[in-house]
Amino acid sequence: MQTNTTPAISPRGHITDYLWRFTRGAGIIVLTYVAFYVLYGYLQPRALEPYAIAAQMNNTAPLALAAAGQTLVVLSRGFDLSLAGVISICNVVLAVMPLEGPGGALVSVLLCLLIGASVGAVNGWLVGYLRMQSIAATLATMIICQGIALVILKAPGGYVAEWITYEMTDRLWSIIPISGLVVAAVVGAWLLIRRTNFGVSIYAIGADESAASLSGINVRRVRFFTFVCAGMLYGLAGFMLSAQTATGNPTSGTPLLLLSFAAVALGGTSLAGGRGGLFATVMGAATLTLLQKVLFSSGVSSFYTGLFQGLVLIAAVVFSGFVARIGDKK
Amino acid sequence: MIDSDNAKTVESSFAQSGDGRASARVSRETISTVTVAILCVVMLLGARFISPSLGSWSQVETVLVLGSFLVVLSFGQGLVILTGGLDLSLPALITLGGILATNWIGVYDTGAWYLLPVALLICAGVGLISAIGIVWLKVPPFIMTLAMSIIVSSILLGYTKGTPRGASPDAALALMKGSVFGQPAVISFVILFVIIGWLFQSRSAIGRYLYAVGMNVDAARVAGVPVVLVQTLPYVISAVCAGLVGIMLVGYSNGATLRMGESYLLPSIAAVVIGGSSILGGSGSFLGTVGGAILLTTLGTIISAIGLEFGLRTIIEGTIVLVALLLLREEFFQKLGSLWR
Repeated sequence: MQTNTTPAISPRGHITDYLWRFTRGAGIIVLTYVAFYVLYGYLQPRALEPYAIAAQMNNTAPLALAAAGQTLVVLSRGFDLSLAGVISICNVVLAVMPLEGPGGALVSVLLCLLIGASVGAVNGWLVGYLRMQSIAATLATMIICQGIALVILKAPGGYVAEWITYEMTDRLWSIIPISGLVVAAVVGAWLLIRRTNFGVSIYAIGADESAASLSGINVRRVRFFTFVCAGMLYGLAGFMLSAQTATGNPTSGTPLLLLSFAAVALGGTSLAGGRGGLFATVMGAATLTLLQKVLFSSGVSSFYTGLFQGLVLIAAVVFSGFVARIGDKK
Repeated sequence: MIDSDNAKTVESSFAQSGDGRASARVSRETISTVTVAILCVVMLLGARFISPSLGSWSQVETVLVLGSFLVVLSFGQGLVILTGGLDLSLPALITLGGILATNWIGVYDTGAWYLLPVALLICAGVGLISAIGIVWLKVPPFIMTLAMSIIVSSILLGYTKGTPRGASPDAALALMKGSVFGQPAVISFVILFVIIGWLFQSRSAIGRYLYAVGMNVDAARVAGVPVVLVQTLPYVISAVCAGLVGIMLVGYSNGATLRMGESYLLPSIAAVVIGGSSILGGSGSFLGTVGGAILLTTLGTIISAIGLEFGLRTIIEGTIVLVALLLLREEFFQKLGSLWR
């Protein structure tokens, strides 16, 4: 279980070694993604144009960010259901209170981060300090957040600031999608954080809480900040979702909840904690959104999207559990 | 559940020498059951001050009829939680029960009561699939049931093409609209259900096995409990209960919708937790859960009588769950117990 908490010394060359550390076992999911994209390109020849790639990125960004937050909590051996509530609150706040211009967008994104951090702090307090079970605590905060979102906006409606909806879904120099840059920035930040004491502690707690506690890690504080960081990522996900949908919906976060677990599992992160990575989750999220496109372009009725998502989720969890068991036997 | 395993091992390795004897556990369950029952009565009587129409006998009847759905549903959820799991597929299974009753039986022949058990059998099949994923393939319970939930919803969406049709079966209408001894028939049905449920959970051998598995799987296995069967059964029963609630709802509201089960998931968990069961499994009683279900329904009726908007009602519900969880932590009861001795 604990083998991955310390970087494995690889006998391979310098560049491949670095790549291995960067992807942290994301190889399978990257290959799956490439295979899906080839299939998608075959079914839909325009899929390789910059416009289509940017659209795909825009679709992926909210789920990728939400699932990235979920990964942090799962790595520390917990589950976070409040994701749905935080994203919904951020979405309705942006729709009820549109702030135009770059300054407005900055205030909006800070507001989203603040909302996420506050809910995350409550979760962290309940789970870290009051030692409540993470599912139960975040289930309660999710219900409360959904209620708050409904109080702010009763029914779908409102408009998100135009500056946000245009700029955040645009392409830089008409090639690089902005949404892709946001996700890349988060992955980059995580790669730095992972090397800090905090990053290592998350893995340590997930692998074995009592061992981590005995080796001097402040389990409560690390759990608290894990939930705060995760909450901020949900806030960012809510921001990107609003940019994409351009309107408010008090239940907009709910569909992302299940998919976030599916993305985490697809990325090979162990649901038992302590093993996995954020980049693999982002690729898992990208694969899931791509799967919808592939199904659509191969003529499967959109009624059955859930059927395939559920099957993929179960298959991913069974597969990653299988791989983990083989790994443990070595 | 992985998380619960973790919490348990950590808890047991760090816990103070708390009183783990059966007497302490029973008293804890009795405390919460009695507390919940008193709260129900106080709230119903106190509701008179808000509106004179509340707190009357007809109000009690309404609460019992509306609460019947939650009582049946939380029996299954309670069994799953007892063995350390969580069933998030209930909304989809309620809808499955309802859609099968109207779209299939209702379109074919509303008098075909003998097809209702078949509908419940289909629900049991779904529960069995969840159990196979959880017990054999080691998928975490809430992931498996969440996945089954979207799979079933998606199939129902495709089966009904988005718009359910058909009428309610006569048997479902008779159950919900008919009367026995001058009272709604469903009240007698629920009382019968509660007695059977309580006998099953607290007095039968299988019921005791459920507690054993919920407390410690390994110890139960060593003690000769058929662990695989005992872990499978709750998901099947839970699925059948949810399907039954779907049929009851169809009888109550004369038709099915694709979102009919959505609002019942969180109350089903809340009822179990408020009723004094540990969310980690291994403790709790069905009578406590029934009290929790009635309390939640009473609260819901009063809140809607006051006329609060849906959002605020949701916030209140969530807060109640949170407060219940905070109060029901083992430490709280240990402190309470130490005050009394």
